Amino acid sequence: MSLCLNRLQEERKQWRRDHPFGFVAKPQKTAQGTLDLKRWECAVPGKKDTLWDGGIFKLDVIFPDEYPTKPPKCKFTPPLFHPNVYPSGTVCLSILNEEEAWRPAITIKQILLGIQDLLNDPNPESPAQADAYNLFKKDRPAYERRVKQVVKENPPM
Amino acid sequence: MAAPFQEIGHGSGELISEAHLLVTQLYDPANQRNPAKIDEVQSRLQHIQKSDHAWEIADFLLRERSAHHRFMGALTFTVKINVSGGDLKETMTVQILERLVNHFIAIVNEGEQAFVIRKLASSLIAIFRHPATSWKRALWQLAASLAHGGFVQEEEAQTVDFLTGVLPALSTQQATALLFFSVALAEETLRLDTEPQNLVGPVIQRAVSNIKDGFLLVQYITRQIAQHPAVSQSESPEVTLGNEAMIAWKAWLGVYGSRLHPGHGEERRVLAVSCGRDIMETLRIPSLSENAASILTQAFETRSWAFDAESIWTISQILSDSIVTMHILEMTKGNEGSESMTFVDLLVAYVSHLQLNLFSDPMKPENARILGIVHDIFKTPGYAVIDDLATPRVLEYWNEIAEGLPDELQQNDPRYEAVKTHLAQVVLGLFNKLLYPTPSDLSDLSDDERGEFNAFRYDACDYLLSVYPILGVELVSVFQESATTHLGNNDWLGFEAAMFCIAQLSEAVDENGHADQCLDAIFGSDAFSRLCAGGETGIPLKARQTLVDAFGKYESYFERHNSLLPGVLNILFESLNFETCAQAASRSILTLSKSCGRVLTAELPVFLDQLDQFRAKPTATVSTMPKVLEGIATIIQRLPTDDEKVQTLERILRFFVQEANQARDEAASSAYDIARAHGHLVLSCIASIGRGLRADTDEVINVDATEEENPYPPSFWNAGPGSGAQQLIMEAMRLLILDFPVDSGIIDSACDILKAGYTESSGLFVFPPSLTVDFIKSFPLGISGTDVIMATASSFLASHASHSMQIRDQAVALIVHVAQLFSSMLEEPDLYDPETANAGIDFLARLLPKYYPIVFSLTEPLPSASDSASQRPPIFVVLLNFTLHALTRPEPLTLRSGSAFWVAMLDLRGGSPEETAALDQVLEQFIPTLCETLIRQIAGHCARSDLLSLNDVLRRTVFKKMGLARPSLTAALNALDAQVNDADGHQASVLSPQDKSRFLESLIVARGQRQPSLDLIRAFWLKCRGMAFDYAG
Repeated sequence: MSLCLNRLQEERKQWRRDHPFGFVAKPQKTAQGTLDLKRWECAVPGKKDTLWDGGIFKLDVIFPDEYPTKPPKCKFTPPLFHPNVYPSGTVCLSILNEEEAWRPAITIKQILLGIQDLLNDPNPESPAQADAYNLFKKDRPAYERRVKQVVKENPPM
Repeated sequence: MAAPFQEIGHGSGELISEAHLLVTQLYDPANQRNPAKIDEVQSRLQHIQKSDHAWEIADFLLRERSAHHRFMGALTFTVKINVSGGDLKETMTVQILERLVNHFIAIVNEGEQAFVIRKLASSLIAIFRHPATSWKRALWQLAASLAHGGFVQEEEAQTVDFLTGVLPALSTQQATALLFFSVALAEETLRLDTEPQNLVGPVIQRAVSNIKDGFLLVQYITRQIAQHPAVSQSESPEVTLGNEAMIAWKAWLGVYGSRLHPGHGEERRVLAVSCGRDIMETLRIPSLSENAASILTQAFETRSWAFDAESIWTISQILSDSIVTMHILEMTKGNEGSESMTFVDLLVAYVSHLQLNLFSDPMKPENARILGIVHDIFKTPGYAVIDDLATPRVLEYWNEIAEGLPDELQQNDPRYEAVKTHLAQVVLGLFNKLLYPTPSDLSDLSDDERGEFNAFRYDACDYLLSVYPILGVELVSVFQESATTHLGNNDWLGFEAAMFCIAQLSEAVDENGHADQCLDAIFGSDAFSRLCAGGETGIPLKARQTLVDAFGKYESYFERHNSLLPGVLNILFESLNFETCAQAASRSILTLSKSCGRVLTAELPVFLDQLDQFRAKPTATVSTMPKVLEGIATIIQRLPTDDEKVQTLERILRFFVQEANQARDEAASSAYDIARAHGHLVLSCIASIGRGLRADTDEVINVDATEEENPYPPSFWNAGPGSGAQQLIMEAMRLLILDFPVDSGIIDSACDILKAGYTESSGLFVFPPSLTVDFIKSFPLGISGTDVIMATASSFLASHASHSMQIRDQAVALIVHVAQLFSSMLEEPDLYDPETANAGIDFLARLLPKYYPIVFSLTEPLPSASDSASQRPPIFVVLLNFTLHALTRPEPLTLRSGSAFWVAMLDLRGGSPEETAALDQVLEQFIPTLCETLIRQIAGHCARSDLLSLNDVLRRTVFKKMGLARPSLTAALNALDAQVNDADGHQASVLSPQDKSRFLESLIVARGQRQPSLDLIRAFWLKCRGMAFDYAG
């Protein structure tokens, strides 16, 4: 088995054994019912006592063949209203950038926790969508109202 | 440095007295509530511990009568060793070691408390890891010294065999102390693995030479303990000894298995495995079994190499028939609590270790018994995760088996059927665990507990989805039978759990129809018909919520069985009244109306009545109501004639105009927040009607068509009987936009209303083009929501792209509006708004491919907003100047959109020679400034993350407009004069003329390719900015 699949098997094992409460991470199933280890369906809950509390946000994590040398791509489905999420849903986060803070030792758990942190702590230096970024910068009450609406639309399962 | 231990002189005597006093004060109960005092004492103590007299102080304190003083004596040794560093020479380390060993022997023999012994063991570790020490077989030497009653030299210690000579001579107290040291040594060795090997390599080499002694000590103690009569008393020192031996095993396994020092020999591995078997035997001893289970579980999970076939046989015997078995079985009967989870963890670790090997053919009797126990765990009373922690653990194991089976065993393998039978048995066992808590139980649970139970149910469904490819439709039929039986008996808890499972399985069976017969049996039953009829069915909220979810998940099934839909939608509308169901019900109404709208037209009057009731309810919010309206509009769209449609739509829209008037009244009485929320709800509902009414066809407007058509031809909806309905929408918009508090939600919805008609050729939402233009122009510069407004302007122009000249006036009005905004921002920097800049440039970039002839025909000066005498530049010049200005902005989005504009600009191709010539003329005018801006930015001015978008412009400029660009690029490069200080402190140019020309030539050779150009530009930026900004550097 390739390094990539070996590592993903191990990640799966570790996740089963210990994962943060409320988070979901599981490989997708193919049409034949077998697992596609390189595509995971994940969900990140909003942090308690933040604007995002009460929502759970689904994302696909797609691992390249070169994983863990290269980072996975994390994509909210549907795209999320957030300053650091591209209109396509792809998350813009330094630990997911090969040229910035990605390290092969970063686990799926750390990635998802990092994304959870990002939800309530956007990085205005790296805007990825105009919609959320402009509201965040210019009209914080409207931004917060919109986030609350997003939370309502993504209730816990 | 002087010899560490001297006669106590005058200076040290005072310090020793002070240290003694400070330790007394530190632990004085009177000072415990005075943190300032404690801080002061600690700070002084720390200072003394590092002083020249620390050795004498440590030595003195260790002889004191109070354990606290002795503890602090040991700590002082550790601190002083650590701070002495290179000052300690080998001869001194020998003296310190001897002193420490003698202290160790003395306190152990005097029955010292464990915390002091451990602290002194840490001091021994500190001297062991000191680079000047040559101490190697530390365990052997310390053991020999303990046995001897005084310090023994290392070589001398090794004259007596460790296992047969030294260890039998130790008392229980001495052996326990030796184990404390053994654990500390192993753990320190593991910690050293993370430090730079050039510094700690020799220490690690000395440490790993103790691996064998570490395991021998574990083996000796474990075997002795197993036969010791005192071990049956849970408080006896022998129990402590046994537990410490297990911890030592785990610690030395870590050292043996360390990735940095592999291959410590087969002999040691065999010894380690043998220790593991000895520890397994202690599972039979009640006072040791829990710790043994915990240590073995950890070893199974992280050191699976520590078990061989014999170990597996040993543990299988114990798990299938021993006190461990008894603990687990008692727990499944509710007679033992969570303390027995340790044994369940061991059981799961064992079966997970074996994976599919557990199911041998024929199956071993002990494994068959173990599997029986694993199944029995589902019988544990209480709610999973909350009262019953065992079920989730075994479920993890079954999930792994279900996921692995299809890949690992062929279907014709006899073991495949055996595993399949067990997987099916798990489904049956699991069902009771999925029953949702009764209302009274639920009220006793905290939010977290509810959340955890819900998460468990989803994990269980994950298992069902994993097992579906193996068990097939039989799996659905199990839940179908359960659902129909429970529904017939009004057993709502059972019905809810069964429907929950069926809903989750939709992913596997909805689209392919494999389980349609099972679903028919539920949804075609009389009991279900009664439920659909509504009224007093007695269905509790949770069951209703789950049922509503299930409807939404079986969209394809209901499409195939549309006769069931009226009943289903009836339940859904009824469910809108309940807060916990309203979201899911509105979603399901929308989904089912979209997929089955055509067959629901006859039900429309009923749905409209239900809508009338719903809209007055508190559950009718911006999250639910628009979805219901979109669903209803989808059905309206399926009505055969426009006349029928318009009657229904007017009925709905009149209500919203009334609501808009009410929102205005609220605003007039200064209730702005209520008015905004109200207005937002009204417009989002109207927008969702627009989405629902979109023509039921895949045909899209051809934006590339060339025919010149009327952008707003007369139709039923704007000039016929439908115009009244259209007027109602425009009235609602007027009421909520003009002189109404600005709100980004309202802007969003209003834009959605306008956009709803852009993809239609005719219909209720196809408004006169002037409506969009007036709407866009009505907002002042700087409001929040400009990006949505300008995106609407882009969509508007895109929808008319096939007949752009027919809406020239509207296009010009919009372009001039944007130019006015740009001009205001350039003229008055205080008015600069990044959102408007970005949104305006985006708008221009999008319209460019189809509307550029209009843009570049705007050569007249931009009309002045004031009476200023000075003439403004031509409109298109204002626009292009602003896009160039954007390339210099610090805001990433503005710079990105400026780049995207110039990419679009450079990609333009004229449709005729005249157009091409006109375009070239524009480029000739602007390329020099563009080149100068780009070069200045990539020469270290822009942020690193901006290089990506600037590269896209520069590489196109170089590749597509080389002739025009080369002189400008050369001039821009020559104008660069970045300087740095050289090694002698003189100012020197960062870039030589050769650097500059080489950079340009390399760019040309890259021929506009993305990555090579980007690499060149990044290197150039780094050179100009300084290598400190290199991520890789």
